[in-house]
Amino acid sequence: MHTVVQAVILGVLTGGVYALMSSGLTLVFGIMRVINVAQGAMVILAAYLSSLMFSRIGLDPFLSIFLLVPAMFVVGVAAQLLFIRSLRGDHSVEMSLLVTWALALGVEGLLSVGFSTTDRTTLTSYADKSWSLAGYQFSVPRVIGFGVSILILVLLFALLRYTKFGRSIRAVVQNVAAARLLGVDPARVSAIGFGIGVSTAAAAGAVYGVIYPFNPGSHYDLISRLLSIIVLGGLGSVGGAIIAALLLGITESVVSVEVSPTWAALAFFIVLIAVLIVRPQGFFGLRERTL
Amino acid sequence: MQRRIRLGALAVTASIVVCAALASTVAAKTDGHASKAASSVVIGISLSLSGDFSDEGKAAKRGYQLWQAEVNAHGGLLGRKVQLKIVDDTSSPTQVVTNYENLITRDKVDLVLGPFSTLLTAPAATIAHRYGYAFIEPAGGGPSVFAAKLNNVFFAQPAPAIKNADVLANYILSLPKSERPKTAAYPMLDDPFAAPPIQRLQKRLEQAGIKTVYSATYPSELTDWSPIVAKVVAAKPDLIAAGTQNVDGYAIAKGLIQLHYNPKFLYIENGANDPLDFPTKIGRNETSGIMSSGDWFPAEKSNGNAAFIKAYVKAYGGSGQQIDTTSAEAYSCGQILQAAVAQAHTLDNATLIKTLHAHTYRTVNGTLSWDKYGSPKGETILVQWVGGKLVPVYPSKVALHKPILKPAWK
Amino acid sequence: MRIRAVGLARGGTILALLCALPFAFSAHWVVNMFVFTLMYAALAVAWNLFAGYSGYISLGHVAFFGLGAYAEAITFSHTSIGSGYRPFYVLPLVAIGVGLASLPIGWVALRTRAITFAIVTLTMLFVFQNLATNLRSITHGSSGYALPVPTFSVATYERPFYFAMLGILAVALLVSWHVRTSKLGLMLFAIRGDEEKARGLGVRTTGSKLLVFAVSAGLTAMAGAVWAYYLTYIYPQYAVDPLVMIGSVLPVFLGGRGTLWGPVLGAFILVPAQQYLAYRLGASELYLVAYAAVFVVILLVLPRGILPSLGGLVERWRYRGSALAADDELPLQPRIGERAA
Repeated sequence: MHTVVQAVILGVLTGGVYALMSSGLTLVFGIMRVINVAQGAMVILAAYLSSLMFSRIGLDPFLSIFLLVPAMFVVGVAAQLLFIRSLRGDHSVEMSLLVTWALALGVEGLLSVGFSTTDRTTLTSYADKSWSLAGYQFSVPRVIGFGVSILILVLLFALLRYTKFGRSIRAVVQNVAAARLLGVDPARVSAIGFGIGVSTAAAAGAVYGVIYPFNPGSHYDLISRLLSIIVLGGLGSVGGAIIAALLLGITESVVSVEVSPTWAALAFFIVLIAVLIVRPQGFFGLRERTL
Repeated sequence: MQRRIRLGALAVTASIVVCAALASTVAAKTDGHASKAASSVVIGISLSLSGDFSDEGKAAKRGYQLWQAEVNAHGGLLGRKVQLKIVDDTSSPTQVVTNYENLITRDKVDLVLGPFSTLLTAPAATIAHRYGYAFIEPAGGGPSVFAAKLNNVFFAQPAPAIKNADVLANYILSLPKSERPKTAAYPMLDDPFAAPPIQRLQKRLEQAGIKTVYSATYPSELTDWSPIVAKVVAAKPDLIAAGTQNVDGYAIAKGLIQLHYNPKFLYIENGANDPLDFPTKIGRNETSGIMSSGDWFPAEKSNGNAAFIKAYVKAYGGSGQQIDTTSAEAYSCGQILQAAVAQAHTLDNATLIKTLHAHTYRTVNGTLSWDKYGSPKGETILVQWVGGKLVPVYPSKVALHKPILKPAWK
Repeated sequence: MRIRAVGLARGGTILALLCALPFAFSAHWVVNMFVFTLMYAALAVAWNLFAGYSGYISLGHVAFFGLGAYAEAITFSHTSIGSGYRPFYVLPLVAIGVGLASLPIGWVALRTRAITFAIVTLTMLFVFQNLATNLRSITHGSSGYALPVPTFSVATYERPFYFAMLGILAVALLVSWHVRTSKLGLMLFAIRGDEEKARGLGVRTTGSKLLVFAVSAGLTAMAGAVWAYYLTYIYPQYAVDPLVMIGSVLPVFLGGRGTLWGPVLGAFILVPAQQYLAYRLGASELYLVAYAAVFVVILLVLPRGILPSLGGLVERWRYRGSALAADDELPLQPRIGERAA
């Protein structure tokens, strides 16, 4: 029992970080029907940048988020303007999948030239510390990472709910034509929305770099999880993505301890397949017509 | 009418350009062949200069190039300068096949040397074999390379990967029974280099009566090793022999430090043998007593090692401690080839293969000889961290220090 | 079903030229390059058969490539390969086996639409890679699987593989051509246009999609099987490789989605270029970046592909005088008017 509870704790802490990464991904889909396959690569890019700032100028990875978020926001907006906006035709949705995949490859290629392909870790002074509470271990970087992720998610929610821009985003998510009639410019919302999506990857990347070792190819592993999370949660639903991310964290961690680490990753895919058989639109997704 | 004329003009211009281009390539080609016959020996090598293995690929490239400079400074091969034709295989087996086909049948290189990693060496060796080329290779030590039973393969390390941990078994079984561990735990990474040597070790130690209290593999995507370390510690083993690559090796050491568990023997297959990264990852004063396996060390008194390190530091800066072993392994490949050519007095590959099988070669990587399928006959060296330094401790003929018992964590 | 003389002549000529190629250029490196070119051409045509015609983007097809590779490896690891040709004879069985195995997978995946389908299939790619690594007793896990080394004579070593790949390509083209001219093609085309409406009109959407999905999977598996035999070693990360997936999608986009010959043209441009660049640009270490750049440029500049763009030009030219020409090279796509209806 003790090991299961410990595994659930670990799973929730991990799930929080995945929730942050996938919230941006699913939000972008909601706004412009684009799946950013490069989200994983952006996380890894941010992890490298934060690790670089830590080793060069000693900036704490969690503090580097303040620099990374605006910087990566600009990268996101630029990527949207350069690569996504110019897609035309009936199948621009699927095309965006391929274009962002190419983007992910490009980022991977640049990272492996600029850095190296061996694993890298951001070794902070608290990397190995943990707190003990009622006999359970709470790893310090994971707890901070979880806290930071939740904080940013709350900010994101506040942005969506209480600001004018947030309202225009939600308007576009619900109905593009109606939003346009109300004076919202979907093109502008799309560019900024994509920037926000990449920003969440930036923040999550700084956290990721503290908790896990990473290399330029790590993004494949990440994106396969993120995509499963947003499909399970229902495409476009930020709340669904958060629940699915926690479910992923807990499933992997418990299976890893109780069965074998070898089958942990697969366990979540099995959950995903089971859900899709019963409910193809995921937890909170709208029943999709041909988009 | 005018439009048609313009089209015609375009077609003529285009065909002229194409013909010119073809002619120039043909000319370039004949030039190449002519100059090659006159002076240099061309050696074809495919390396992973992009993709997953690019770090090691680049390290191998440095080793090969240093050897090239060395051999050319001493008159080359049979009095002809050595020219390396290095091409990128993008860490892909499909491209490695294409590259060796191109090197051998298109560019008609005189000799070839091997790529990085077993995964790419296996298909590449088959092609070299098909065309009768000797295949001295720095990094393909996995079982699949030797299982193909090719007579042209020569692996330039002291022992095949599967025997990586044999030296630990030899050491432990050399101890009197009372000093041997009673129980052992074997956490292993699911990787062709990490797990099989440890499984072999486990079998031998079990036969000697050492009880296995934990043995399990974990996947390469794993990012959190704490549950595994916790399970190992719960089994209270005297010996922990971890089959690892680098990152998981560091993580297991760190996990044990965090839980303050002190086994009598702690062996970490890879990662702990990295003189540069290991102490920075876990703290230099925590390294004491940790064991590992290795094939090359900066301090080694092997043939040409001092010159190799000097040349490396001169070309790339840093110190001997910063040299990737892959560079030394690639350099050894060159040394072996150089010695074999000198013995055979020819570049003929069939003769070279015979020569290589008949002799023993002294390289920076130790003294090497092979069985008929290219598996080296030597053994790896047991190394241990003593006083913050990585030193060879077993077998005694190469040891610079006696093995120590692992002290408690600081 | 209408067989047009032009189409038949074109197909016959291209295939005849391809048959003659290894005799005209017998250098090993040339034939080797064309083995891989034909492989990607076959993969692209197979992918196009499902994705190009139905509009569903499958990003997990390479899982079937890996399944075929492992099927071949496992079949021949314990048996003698005799003259060396036996591994080719079982290809139809590999195709049928993998085709059947793909049915339940396709059924689950095809419960979702459009982009969700693309994501689910991409997830499937990683599941298969994971399974290939973890089912150690069947696949030997990360240690990889060795196939027996073929006994062909050195002088013409690549030829059997060349003709095997060519055969798979020919079958894939034949099936594609058949689908285009049959009722099934019309149904797929209706699904691509508007699936809800197609179903409303009585098109058996699930059945049609599943059928081409399975056929496409079977063709992909055959290419995987020949690839495995050619390389003689397979490992999970290479048998189910996202880069092979991209390699089979890219020619389709370059040549023209939904066309018959587009994917072949795309493969014949991209694969030799890619192999040559990796060989030549080796030292620059920028291979992956360059590849990504080509990928983006094709998608952004030629979203319809070469053949449809050319076809559009030709069509506009012909419009000036005569009526619209129906041509194989135009993508199976709703024309103006039909779409609005």
